[in-house]
Parts: sequence; structure tokens; C-alpha cells
Amino acid sequence: MKTARRNQYLWMGALFVFLALVPLFADNNYYITILNQMVINMIVVFGLNFITGLTGQMNLGTAGIYAIGAYTSALLSKNFGLSPWLTMIASVCAGFLLGRGLGYPSLKMKGVYLSLTTLAFSEIVRIFATNLIDITGGTQGLKSIPRFSVGWIALDTNTKYFYFILVVAIAMCLLSIRITDSKWGREFRAVKDNQDAIESLGLDIRRIKIRAFTLAAMYGAFGGALYAHFNGYITSLSFTTDLSINYVIILMVGGIGNILGNMIGSIVVTLLPELLRFLGDYYQITYCILVLASALFLPDGLISLYGKVMGVFNKRSVAEGGE
Amino acid sequence: MSIIMQLIISGIAMGFIYALVGIEYTLIWNASGVLNFSHDKLITLGAYIFGGTYILALKMGFVQGILLSLLTVAIVGVIIARTIFIPLRNLTMIYTIMATVMLGKIIVEGIRLFWGPVPFSVPGFLVGTVKIGKVVISRANIAIIITAFICVCALQLFLYKTKPGKAMRCVAQNRNAAQLMGIDVKTVMVTTVAISMIICCLIGVLVSPLLNISTTMSNMIGLKGFAAGVIGGFGYLPGAIIGGLVIGIVENFASMIFPSVYKDIAAFVLLVAFLLIRPKGITGKTR
Amino acid sequence: MDNPEVVLEVLDLVKRFDGLVAVDHLNFKVRRGKIHALIGPNGAGKTTTVNMITGENPQTEGDVLFEGKSISGRPVYARAQMGIGRTFQNIKLFSAMTVTENLMIGGQSKTTQSLLKYLADFRSARKEERHLREKAKEVLNFIGMYQYRDEIVNNLAYGRQKMTELGRTLMGEPKLILLDEPAAGLNPSERKEFIEIIQKVFETGVDMFLIEHNMDVVMNLSHDITVLNFGCKIAEGNPKEILVNEEVISAYLGEGYRRKMAKGAEGNA
Repeated sequence: MKTARRNQYLWMGALFVFLALVPLFADNNYYITILNQMVINMIVVFGLNFITGLTGQMNLGTAGIYAIGAYTSALLSKNFGLSPWLTMIASVCAGFLLGRGLGYPSLKMKGVYLSLTTLAFSEIVRIFATNLIDITGGTQGLKSIPRFSVGWIALDTNTKYFYFILVVAIAMCLLSIRITDSKWGREFRAVKDNQDAIESLGLDIRRIKIRAFTLAAMYGAFGGALYAHFNGYITSLSFTTDLSINYVIILMVGGIGNILGNMIGSIVVTLLPELLRFLGDYYQITYCILVLASALFLPDGLISLYGKVMGVFNKRSVAEGGE
Repeated sequence: MSIIMQLIISGIAMGFIYALVGIEYTLIWNASGVLNFSHDKLITLGAYIFGGTYILALKMGFVQGILLSLLTVAIVGVIIARTIFIPLRNLTMIYTIMATVMLGKIIVEGIRLFWGPVPFSVPGFLVGTVKIGKVVISRANIAIIITAFICVCALQLFLYKTKPGKAMRCVAQNRNAAQLMGIDVKTVMVTTVAISMIICCLIGVLVSPLLNISTTMSNMIGLKGFAAGVIGGFGYLPGAIIGGLVIGIVENFASMIFPSVYKDIAAFVLLVAFLLIRPKGITGKTR
Repeated sequence: MDNPEVVLEVLDLVKRFDGLVAVDHLNFKVRRGKIHALIGPNGAGKTTTVNMITGENPQTEGDVLFEGKSISGRPVYARAQMGIGRTFQNIKLFSAMTVTENLMIGGQSKTTQSLLKYLADFRSARKEERHLREKAKEVLNFIGMYQYRDEIVNNLAYGRQKMTELGRTLMGEPKLILLDEPAAGLNPSERKEFIEIIQKVFETGVDMFLIEHNMDVVMNLSHDITVLNFGCKIAEGNPKEILVNEEVISAYLGEGYRRKMAKGAEGNA
């Protein structure tokens, strides 16, 4: 059991090293842009994993959270000339408030309420972002969002920015592991496993769920801020329900509740549309059918394949692959 | 004064649309425990089958077109029920939600490939207005109110007077017990999805005079239908109707006070407000 | 008001479901240092009563006092924190986790560390976790489950799962444990073991309130018995008194049981 977990950490490390090496061999802006997006997705999904993966509560509002993070940091740094470091912290704070504010009404009761309120919230954000043209630029978008520098290194190229967010992603990954392996992570998993038993053990189930959701919102808002400063340009057209769905797809395809799965999911799902592009008109429908098939036939995600393959090699199969 | 009357009537008309949406997904929710996130796309599909194929391509009469559309979607419903909803009924929520979301996206892509990406409208279908006293009402709104009313009554009759309807209610009450009592739950689910599809198609047909027929035409209707369910009392059919009407009327009045682009937000604000103050909805009954 | 002799008291407890009265003006006291049993035929309102005490399904009327204080209106987790532990009729464990993890969650409401402090201070974080693990180990030894500590709960036999649930409850250091049909579904040897463990737990100073169908278990364990029928209390007393109570015999035990008990008593004598 312990070795299985250590193996997972080794794989995570290997994946990060691999990602760090890619720019050395493929220094072309198209690939670097995809890599940036991939790692930003990873950060957002590490967060989503807390509420939807571990705690089992469906969050369909990641786009709204991501948008709030992006607009907060972009507007503050652009209009008030604040350092992006400060504004990114402001974004994370916005995520915190959001998690508390939205989590409270929708997690008071069991059931589908979180999915519906987060979906509705996301739409509200999109409608405001589209129509408050004076502030957000609407569908025309917000341009020239500043990049920033780390110490004396200015993150002026996409490659430099990629290495910066890769380090951030590693930090977020470690943070995720640390929380998942703690008593809080155990509570999250317990909620998913058997909601009815939690309260009789003296634990407040609402607080647990709100905590998981707040973490998700903080990671999501941070991801949004990183995206805004990476792209330099944001428009309300990108923050649609499809974006929220896409994050859940990443989570599901990789393996729900598993951090290594989150990483694999981010890599595969970010690359898949690029790989399927040759299908032309049929690429979207193929993509959707693949994802539907994965929901129906591979519910534990790609990470469960790893468990099965290892199980063939040694009899002591990875029992807690879904952990 | 007549403006307020007009707002109320068009609010009631839209409210009935939301109510039908609420009914359509609540039926499936009660029968299978699956929250159907593809329902807005199924509405769109109904509109395309009616407008795109039977009216514009095959040049049929409206009545003929509607009847054939309903028949077509019922058959599609049977297929979807067998391939998607029955396998999904025992999975946890995240998979059922994602599978229906992906089903919706597949339908949209199918529509785009089959009917093309350009929005269109059905010429001559329920256009024009009727004047009653000082109040001007569009024909589409009258058609919506009458059809929705008939639809709700027919559904009540079906659920309470016919054998398949009673079986549906039993399954909604307790799926396991119904199965033990010898009710074929799978057949009930197929019937439910087919009926739900028929309602979806009716919604699609009814809103086609108000909105252009396009792949995104029913996104908002679908979301507000969910809100209607929560506001009325989730999983409770009369609740969905009441919730729908409340949203329809409130958002019309909201557009008097706020800029009309924010009209769509009213439903979601109501949703969150209800969750905070009265999470069980107006009727206080949830499942 | 505060009576040190009484740990739990219910006053005129009423529960109605849509006009159906499930429990009707029920009164009883659970004395400190005693095992109290609630018995009665199916549908008498026993589990309903437990759910009113824990707050999972609060009463329509009446009051519940724990250690002299009213706990009506308090949420389930708050009552659990005050020291009311419970087990469920149909086990409610975290089935995808190990036995140890289940127990650790049971002890978590007693831990104090905040998330921020945990993230900042590695050492004290590890200390708290180690402490929890040690405590789980002690409890597992106490209930004879140590050898199963790393098993996934789902893979355990029913009797072991029941024991795990009891262990998880013990981790919260309850003052009173409500046992909902502890012997149901156990085979005779498992039942015997379970009774022994309950005795052992009781001897450490935990009061017990149990619902049980198996009369042997009830007669062996309990000091006080309350008998329910159709939501009303029909008798109260020690096991000997209950056994000879005519109303209890006709409503619940039946003639056969009396004859069997009489024979058993002769045999013992």
C-alpha cells in the first residue's frame, strides 16, 4: 500500500520533469502555448479535485470562478497599476470569498443543488462580463494585461512564463498532496463515501463541504489569474459553461479523486483536441463520443488502467487506485 | 395598465415554457435519478426536426409537421433511453451528469453536421398579434399558454388514470419497491424518456417563433427550467409548474426596472435566494 | 434540575409523520452507570426514538435532556460532540477506507488543529496525526480488531464491520452510546463476542442505551428496560419485572418465551 503511494509520487515527479524538458526539444510558440494552458488546467483541476473528486459534490461553475480570478487580477493590475503579485493574491482571496458565499446556500442541503447553483452562478458571471462593457470590455475583451517578473527575471516570453507556472503547479501539487493526506482529506473522502455517518461522529458535514469547495474556488481563481497574465487578453466569450464542463472532463478522464490522475487528465484532455484536429468537422463529435465512452466504460479514469496493468505484473494490485 | 397586463401575459407564457422544462426533466429525475443535462439540446433537436426537416425541407403543413416531429422524437427517446439512461441509472451523480452533458454536446454536433450551422426561422408559423381590448398579445404566447395547459392536463390524466402512468408514479415513489412489486422499471424508464422527449419537442416547436432556431437557442430556457424546479420544490411536478410561472413573471417585471440584458439573471438570483431562505421551494415538497 | 444520577432523559417525546403518530408522549430516564434497553415489536418506534435523541430526525414535541441540559434543536454533530455516540442498524461505515482510517475519522472531532496551522507547522501536524493513529491502535486492540487494521472495510465480514463501527464510535470518547440492534445479523459466536465487548466498554464507564430484538442479549446485558408498543410505553423496570409483566408478554414476548425463561430459571437454580 505504501509502495503504491510512493510509486504515484514518483510518477508525478517524472511527469513534471518530462513537462520541464519539452520546451528544450520543441521551442515553438504553438507548443509552448499549449503547455502553458495544460499546466494552468492542472492547477485548476487540483482544486476541483477537492470538491468534485474527493468530496463527490458536482461543481459545474469552474468557468465562473476562473473568470472572477482572471478579471480580478487583470483589472486591478491594469487599471490601478498594482503589481500582478498582489493582484494574484487578491484573486485567491476573491476565490476564498466566493467559495464561502456560494458554498453556504448550495451545500446546506444534500443533492444536486451545488451543480445547479454553480452552473447558474457561472452564467451570471458571464452575463455581467459580457454586458459591463465599460469595465470588462465585454466580448471585445480586455487587452494588454501586464506580465510580471520573478526577482530580476522578467517573464517576457511564453517559455519563461511556462517555467514559472510549472514551479507554481508543483507547489500546488504538493499542497494538494499535503491536504489530501491529512485529516481534512480524510473527511473529504468520508463525505463521498457515506454522507449519513459523518454527523454522528461529531463532524459538521456542511463545514467539510464548504471547506472543500472553498479550496476549489481558491485554486480555480488562482488559475484564472495565471491565465489572464499569460494570455495578456481575456474576453467573456471564453468563460462559458463548456469551460466548466471541460474541467470536469479532465477530472473524470484522469481519475476522480487522484492527484496523479488529475495530471494525466490535464495532459491528455488538453492535447486531445489538438490531436483530433485532423478530423475537421467531425473532431468535436469524436471528442464528445470519446468522453461519453470514458464516463460509461472507464469510470475510474485512465489512472485505473495503470492499476490494472500493474496488477498483471504483480499480484498485489494497487487497491487504492481510486484514492 | 395595459403594459402591465401585457407583461403578465407574456410572463405567464414564458413561465409555462419553464414549467414544461421543469416537468420534462423532473419526470426523468423521478424515474431514474438522473438529472438530464442534455434536456436543452433535446429541445433544440425538436425544433430542428420540426422546422428544419418537416417544414422547410419537406414543405409539410404545420399540424402534420408537429405530429410527425412528436412521433420522431418519441422514437429517438426510446433509443436514448435504451443506450444512455438505462445504463446510467446505477452510477453516481458525477457520471450521470457528465454523460448527459456529453450526450447534449453530441446532439449539438449532430445538428450542426446534419442541418448546418446557420440559424433560421420558420416563416409564417404563429406570427402576428391579437388584440383583446387594449392588450396586444402575440399569437405565439397564446399558443404557448393553450398548449402548455393542455399538455399539463393530459399528463395528469396519463399519470393518474392509465396503467403505464400509475407505474411511472410507483417508480417515482420508490424504484426498488416498484421492482419488487413486479413493475418493469426499464419499460417505465423508456416510456418516461419518450414522454419527456415529446414535451421537449413541444417546447422546441413553441419557442421557435420567439427565438431563431439555432444550436444555442434553448441554453437559457434549459437553465431556467432547472431554477424553476428548485424554486417550486425539487422533484415535485406541481412545484415545477409553480416555479416556472414565478420565474416567467418575475423576470418580465425585472426587465422593466433593470436593463433588459440582465433579464436572464433574475431566475438565478431567485434560485440562490430560495436556497438561502426556503431551500425546499415554494411548495415545500422535495424528493 | 441537574441530576447526577441521570445521563439522558426524554420528556413527553412525540413524533408525528404526516398525522401518523410514531411515538406518543414517551418518557424515560437513562441512569448513569447502567445499561438501558428499549424493546418492542417491529414498528413500535424504537429507531425513531434513537433518531430523536441523536437529532437526525428531531421530535415534533417534547424535550431531550442530556446531562440535565436540553439538547433539542441542536444539530446532530453538536450532540455527538457533547458525548452521544451511536451505531446504526444497517452499518454506516466508510466502506472504501481501511479500518484504521474509519477509526481515525471517528476521533477527528476531538482534534483541534486548524488547516492553516497544519500547512505551516509540519511537526505539530505530524504529532496530531500520530496521536490519532495511536489512539485508533489502542481502540482496535481493545475491541480485538488489531489484526484487521489495514483491511478495506468492504472486504470484511459483517460481524467485523459491526465491530469496526463500534470502534469508530469509541474514538469520539462518548459518554453515552446508543446501540441500534447491535446483535442483528450476527451469528451466535459473533454475538457472544459483541456482548463481551459491550460489557468491556461499559466497564470503562460508558453508559449504554440499546435497542435490541434478541431477548437473550437484552436480558444478559441490561439493568433497565423500557418496552414500547405502537409508540407508547407499556412497561418499565428491571429484566425480572419485565419478564413477568402481563402486558409485555401479550404484546411482545408471547407465552412461549415465559415458559422457556421459567425453565431456564429452574435449570440455573
